[in-house]
Amino acid sequence: MPTASPALLGATRGLLWLFLGLVTVATLIVVAIGGSLAFAWPDVLTHFKDSGVFLDVTTARAPLCFMMLLFLAILVATAYMLRQLQALVASAANGDPFAPASAHRLRRVGWALVVTQAAALPIHWISSRIVATGSDLGSAGGLSLGGVLAILLAFVLAAVFEQGSAMRDELEGTV
Amino acid sequence: MMAIAVKLDDLLLARQMTLTDLSDRIGITLANLSILKTGKAKAMRFSTLEAICTELNCQPGDLLAFEPDG
Repeated sequence: MPTASPALLGATRGLLWLFLGLVTVATLIVVAIGGSLAFAWPDVLTHFKDSGVFLDVTTARAPLCFMMLLFLAILVATAYMLRQLQALVASAANGDPFAPASAHRLRRVGWALVVTQAAALPIHWISSRIVATGSDLGSAGGLSLGGVLAILLAFVLAAVFEQGSAMRDELEGTV
Repeated sequence: MMAIAVKLDDLLLARQMTLTDLSDRIGITLANLSILKTGKAKAMRFSTLEAICTELNCQPGDLLAFEPDG
């Protein structure tokens, strides 16, 4: 039976670790921003006034804090999804991609993607109301066609893997 | 237990052949033949059936029997 190329699996493994590292860094940045908003608001307020990014700086604190929470939810969901993908790659590397757990993992990836898309919608709504036009932050979040397709793909693949796993079970014990 | 009985033991005994001999001759592992002999197999390929019948010079009905419970 043909197996996935070890080089391809190795590269995927490396990329997943790289993404996980980037997610960790992004999480630290979001936590730091959230901490500044919570505990160093006067300094942050002065900085924001100078930057000209926000429409009304004085009312931006609460929406920004909520946005940071949503970013954190996206990052946690992304880290969870990457861990599930790592387990899938490990299962493929062991020559057992149609293990029953693989279908569950793909379904979890699908739900993690749902969380990221669901959190991206209010982020866009908030940012478009507090950020001045022309700023990068104003276009943050929102519905992504690629994201919706990825959700569908994950759930369809989960169903395919479930079927594959059932077929493999049927073949077990065949002489 | 399944109601399909595999009578490989009887056939081997009648031909004074061991499971290892059969395994060597038909190219199916001893472990798989053992699963078949002890009735633990869930399914059997036609290719396996053909190989056993060819080697033991028998019909599929000589190898398999339907023995309903009770």
